[in-house]
Amino acid sequence: MTTEAGTAREIAFGLPPDADECVDLDGVFRPPYAHLLATLERVAATLPQIHRDAQQWFADRGVTFGVPTEGVAPIFPFDPVPRVLSAVEWRSLNRALSQRAMALDLFVSDCYGSQRAIRHGVVPGRLLYSSTGYLRDIVGVRPPRATWCHVSGIDVVRVKGTFHVLEDNVRIPSGMAYALESRRAMESLAPDWFELAPVRPIHGYTGRLRRILQRIAPRQWDADIVVLTPGSYNAAYYEHRLLADEMNATLVEGHELIVVEDEVYRRDAEGVAQHVDVIYSRVNSEWLDPLVFRRDSMLGAPGLIEAWRRGNVAIANAPGTGVADDKVIYPYVPAMIRYYLGEEPLMDNVPTFDLTDERQQAHVVANIGSMVLKPVDTSGGYGIHFGRLMASAERADFLDRVMANPRQWLAQEEVALSRAVCLRASGGFEPRAVDLRPFVLLDERPWIVPGGLTRVAGDPDELVVNSSHGGGSKDTWVLTR
Amino acid sequence: MGTDTLTYSVSHRTILRYSGKVTLSYNEVRMRPRDRGSQRTLAFSLLSKPWAVPRSRVDYFGNFVHRLDVTTPHNTLELTVEAVVENTEPRRRRLSEWDEHALAGDPRLEFVLPSPRVPLAENTRSLWHAWNGADTSFDSVLATAQRIPRELRYVSGATTVESSIDDLLAGGAGVCQDFTHLFLAMVRGAGWPARYVSGYLGPVDEEKVVEGQSHAWVEVCGSDGRWLGLDPTLGQHVGAHHLRLAVGRDYGDVAPHHGLFFGEATGAPPDVTVRIARMSNQQVDQVERHAAVHWQQQQQQ
Repeated sequence: MTTEAGTAREIAFGLPPDADECVDLDGVFRPPYAHLLATLERVAATLPQIHRDAQQWFADRGVTFGVPTEGVAPIFPFDPVPRVLSAVEWRSLNRALSQRAMALDLFVSDCYGSQRAIRHGVVPGRLLYSSTGYLRDIVGVRPPRATWCHVSGIDVVRVKGTFHVLEDNVRIPSGMAYALESRRAMESLAPDWFELAPVRPIHGYTGRLRRILQRIAPRQWDADIVVLTPGSYNAAYYEHRLLADEMNATLVEGHELIVVEDEVYRRDAEGVAQHVDVIYSRVNSEWLDPLVFRRDSMLGAPGLIEAWRRGNVAIANAPGTGVADDKVIYPYVPAMIRYYLGEEPLMDNVPTFDLTDERQQAHVVANIGSMVLKPVDTSGGYGIHFGRLMASAERADFLDRVMANPRQWLAQEEVALSRAVCLRASGGFEPRAVDLRPFVLLDERPWIVPGGLTRVAGDPDELVVNSSHGGGSKDTWVLTR
Repeated sequence: MGTDTLTYSVSHRTILRYSGKVTLSYNEVRMRPRDRGSQRTLAFSLLSKPWAVPRSRVDYFGNFVHRLDVTTPHNTLELTVEAVVENTEPRRRRLSEWDEHALAGDPRLEFVLPSPRVPLAENTRSLWHAWNGADTSFDSVLATAQRIPRELRYVSGATTVESSIDDLLAGGAGVCQDFTHLFLAMVRGAGWPARYVSGYLGPVDEEKVVEGQSHAWVEVCGSDGRWLGLDPTLGQHVGAHHLRLAVGRDYGDVAPHHGLFFGEATGAPPDVTVRIARMSNQQVDQVERHAAVHWQQQQQQ
């Protein structure tokens, strides 16, 4: 079997043996890839053309990610070889992600309620009270349907064959529009691929999201829904536009909203004030209301939080979800799952250490060579340090810096991310590191779009998989059987 | 009414001047005295010019907050608070130290941690050490409160509302806000939960009037969860003449006014006058009668 697989691989792509998204630990092809390989073998010669067409397709539709330079935002990089997950793999991922999203939501609810988990020592109070995501002004608020994290993006990686959670994004997880567009590109450019493999559709996402937004509206009928964007200079502006379009919502910036007597209004095209019922916010909650949070914010509208507090407008995700998004909280999520749900976590964390805890800190210092240190207050994969790559003098200096401010850092064991087959620019194939960001929508019960956004590293040696790091995406296939 | 109850009439006027016309302004005001412990507000009014309807809520720290949205164009905004507040002298209790584990799961842990204006830096830690050695007992807390006004000079205007603890230590002079921040940093560094209190300092003698600014001091929490007021500007326990407005982690949480305005204008530091008079028993009776009549009228409507 091994030799057979090896041969097939050699024949098809000349792949190195560590493209482990397609092969399991024994070097055998994972079953879902059987379909794909058969297809790829047939179409290998046409792939570069499909790739070029896809780039053109993305450019034509203006699918961009990143800050515009000279008025033009960069096209989101796309790899035409799909990432495939079997029905079995997906079923267990689905269960684990639902569990995690529910626990995170309960945690946020608890932080702004009775803080049981703090009193019972499940999550250290020192982390909550020092979190920049903990918004004191909204403690005691109960949002509609008591849901806070309507959308969460939970990043998972495959380590030695099993999925692990790498990071939780419950503030303003972005990327779903890119997953939707990747699928559309593949469907229009290589429709015949889908005839071979029974792939689950993902286009229901925006409809589901709209339904959730409608359900939390204070006025159930004829609810006016807006997508609040920081503006066209935001890296994910394309996504904000697409989601607004497809949900039949209005795309607005903060200055277009006005709060009068705790009711929120926007001006429509004719200049008439329209009452706003639901805000799907893509602005971080700290920037939503200059009267309450950041005084210098120009992205929100003064009075918005009071309007929300009084239940006159719904905001998704609810303000304050940053407490569960704070990287130092992540090591405590498995404990949260046990505490709130009374269940064992179905998916492990990548081993992670809270540096404000003395014992964990000592462990990190002793094993710095195998650690990755991430600053907690940044996203986009910036400021990450690999212990392995530092000279010993550099390590000592760096550790001094970290230990002077342990709350600002998080240590994670360095893990080898699984690698998937990608098209090489110069022709042929190469393996590159991938992760997966599934999107969990929380209504009465969680619903997860089959697949999500697969992000690939920019080149074979890149260790960080992030769109802000030159990475791209792949279409993600979840097979129906 | 007990013999040690003091009653004050407070008039607190804030004038905000803008360089041009302001079309719309949003204001959050924390000027309503707290009704906790020994303190009680008998009468309170908040008026603004131009006129706006104040709406109130209670914030995270239990303070009253009033929101005033002024929608008439204006060059100046005047806020006038008139209040009658009675207070008795809090008991001078001794506080017992916290057990580290008990504090770890207690919400008051928040008041041991650094806050935006009270970083727990090396300079305040070593100052504590120089004064008290390794001792973190209540006696050292008290000794620190008494020592701060002896070591640092009270000079009004030496610092601004934005000054830091480092500014105070570098200059050796400051006002109550700076002394309070310094004391907070020192006692938090020693493991005591402590919070910032903004308020007024009234005269002790009857029918005497003081004019001046607001005052600030500290409340330290003992392991029984009760707070004790200590004034690091006067170097003593707080008395019946310390009238509390709001509490928080530091000045940022209790600022009496903050606002936001639209229009082609710039703001200036507000012009604040505070007048506090100790009322005679006769005057107090009048106020209470007034309140009773007002209440009756409301019932009849």
